[in-house]
Amino acid sequence: MKTIQGQDQEFATKILSVLKKIGITCLRILEGIWSFIKKLWKHKQGRVGLIIVALLVFCAVFAPIIAPYNPYDVTQRAEKGLSPSWDHLLGTSITTGQDIFSMLIYGARSSLSIGLITGLVIAVLGSLLGIAAGYIGGWVDTIIMRIVDILLVIPTLPLVIVMTNVLGTSYAVIVLVFAAFGWTGLARVIRSQVMLIKNANYVKAAELIGASKWYIMWRHILPAVSNLLIMSTALTSAGIMVAEAGLSFLGLGNPEAVSWGKMLADAQSSGAMLFGHWWSILAPGIGIFLAVFSFMRIGLAMEEILNPRMRKGSSMVKVFKHLNNKYLEEVFASMDDGSKLKGEYATCSINETPEGREMLACGEYAPSEEVAVTANGEESKRKEDDESA
Amino acid sequence: MKTSYVIKRILLTIFIFFIVVTLCFFIPRIGVTDPASRYYPAQSAGMTDEVYEEIKEDIRIQYGLNGTTFEQYVRYLKQLFKGDLGISYQSGNPKVIDCIAECLPWTLVLSVTNLLISLILGIIIGTMAAWKRGRWQDKALLNASTVTTALPSFFIALLLSFYLGFELELFPAYTDQNMVTGFDWSWQAISTVMYNAALPIFSMAIGGIVSYGQSTRNSVIAVSGDEFILTAKAKGLSNNRVIYGHTLRNAMLPIVTQFGMNISGLIGGAVVIEKIFNWNGMGTLFLTANSNNDYPLMMGIMIFMSAFALVANLLTDFVYSLLDPRVTLGEKR
Repeated sequence: MKTIQGQDQEFATKILSVLKKIGITCLRILEGIWSFIKKLWKHKQGRVGLIIVALLVFCAVFAPIIAPYNPYDVTQRAEKGLSPSWDHLLGTSITTGQDIFSMLIYGARSSLSIGLITGLVIAVLGSLLGIAAGYIGGWVDTIIMRIVDILLVIPTLPLVIVMTNVLGTSYAVIVLVFAAFGWTGLARVIRSQVMLIKNANYVKAAELIGASKWYIMWRHILPAVSNLLIMSTALTSAGIMVAEAGLSFLGLGNPEAVSWGKMLADAQSSGAMLFGHWWSILAPGIGIFLAVFSFMRIGLAMEEILNPRMRKGSSMVKVFKHLNNKYLEEVFASMDDGSKLKGEYATCSINETPEGREMLACGEYAPSEEVAVTANGEESKRKEDDESA
Repeated sequence: MKTSYVIKRILLTIFIFFIVVTLCFFIPRIGVTDPASRYYPAQSAGMTDEVYEEIKEDIRIQYGLNGTTFEQYVRYLKQLFKGDLGISYQSGNPKVIDCIAECLPWTLVLSVTNLLISLILGIIIGTMAAWKRGRWQDKALLNASTVTTALPSFFIALLLSFYLGFELELFPAYTDQNMVTGFDWSWQAISTVMYNAALPIFSMAIGGIVSYGQSTRNSVIAVSGDEFILTAKAKGLSNNRVIYGHTLRNAMLPIVTQFGMNISGLIGGAVVIEKIFNWNGMGTLFLTANSNNDYPLMMGIMIFMSAFALVANLLTDFVYSLLDPRVTLGEKR
């Protein structure tokens, strides 16, 4: 526009460039998430996890639409302790007469939100502290690792109970307390990974150019540990959901919210077992199981996809020379169905771990990184490898 | 193992213990209520203000809550140094250390038995799965571990107490409290304890067996690729000799690590299970203390649990370096 002159124009271009940067970052994050989902979808276990998570998220978001009754609405309560029927798919609770099926759907809200939000907070805290400890080292490392030592010693559940007793049981407090005491494991993992990356050539190069520590941590170290971060976040979220269920089972969760742990506790204390109401115990338990199971599947699938030990290494081929036919056959027979013997060729990779050698099937997971070996023990590389070499 | 390292490690443990005590002292103190106003909420008729204040101060002195917070902290540390954890708010004001001593054996019955069962069965199952790699035994273990890792132990406990306790009436679903009060070391008393402990132990052990089995399996498979196993086979040793004499022995280290980690959680790991079965252990003690706002007792239990974990960690470290001569603690490679 012509009316914008001088300073205003400069200001506008500045704002535009900042907006552009933010937009690009957002796009990158979305792209990363999308590629992450695509990777997971190719993996059998990851796909199972993704489907269940999608289902649970759908239930949590559209709970008022899916659920036939609103468990928070006192007027929608039916007779107490009904058996399953078409009106109440899983019966009603013994103490209050709430519809158990609706409670099951609404319970996904508290479990998923606490699990995911705490997982994210832990991811931020753990990666920040882990990277700081691993990359900066020195006294920063010492202090952070001492804090980790201290927090690992104090028993977590009693500490969380004391904190909720002192600070109250709102969602914010529960998330904060779990995050404050749950970041230690992640920080340890990230720290050890960072200590490996720290000596990589590209980091050394960046240091030589004169890049600042913050820049290196943000642009080089963080992307290098991001996959590990996603994986551990899925696993910690699963752990937090179990802990939250345990806490609300003890009656120390948010007393106003409908949650699976509280449903279990109510069922037990009101004598559901005595009356033989197995559905009122099984339903919330299966809810907890599905949520934890799906997050664990995603985490473990990520671990298998990302495992650096799965990648091609120079020691791989050498090891094969020592192996005889019989052993190879034994190994192939025991591998998952993802790697079948293809004529005379079989795909698999060997890696050397500190504990010993391990043979891994990678036909299913990383097709471009496999090494083809004849049963005779002669190694022949794939075409892609030849081109890249 | 160098002596200087051992000394350094012990000093560090003491330092961490000091910090933990400080945390355990100050965290509950945020919500602590004045015991004087709790026991003497109102001035009775005909009592002068001076007498009332004096009575309140007496109560505060009795509970160690007189003076500023810092003075209380120093006093608490001094008491702790003598092994005194203060007195509980419970009726009769028993000593905290006595409460713990009363409940500790019952928790240990559960957790030690659970740990031993998990360890022994887990190693047997894991070795079998590794040996029958790819066959149904291995697949069964893998499937079991995908399920049990996602099942919280308290849900397993509820299902077991529902099916075995209420439907089949094989085991008691609630602990008989006479077991605790009338315990003498007769065979009958011991068998009653085992009968009552069966369900809680079993519901904890399911997950434990599978996780020990899985790590044994992985470790055994990693070791069985080594050349000395090939040598052992080539020498013509029997399968059993190869498995138990050569493979398993070298595959034990990761299991020792896991065992050490589990030992540090022996006391605080069964809170929810104890609640479900109404078991008279440390978890129940802690929950009761929590619902009564019994801060000295809560602080005492947490400090005790942390001290136990610290000592367990220290010992595991030392035992580990004794077991594996390759692990050299505190020496630079």
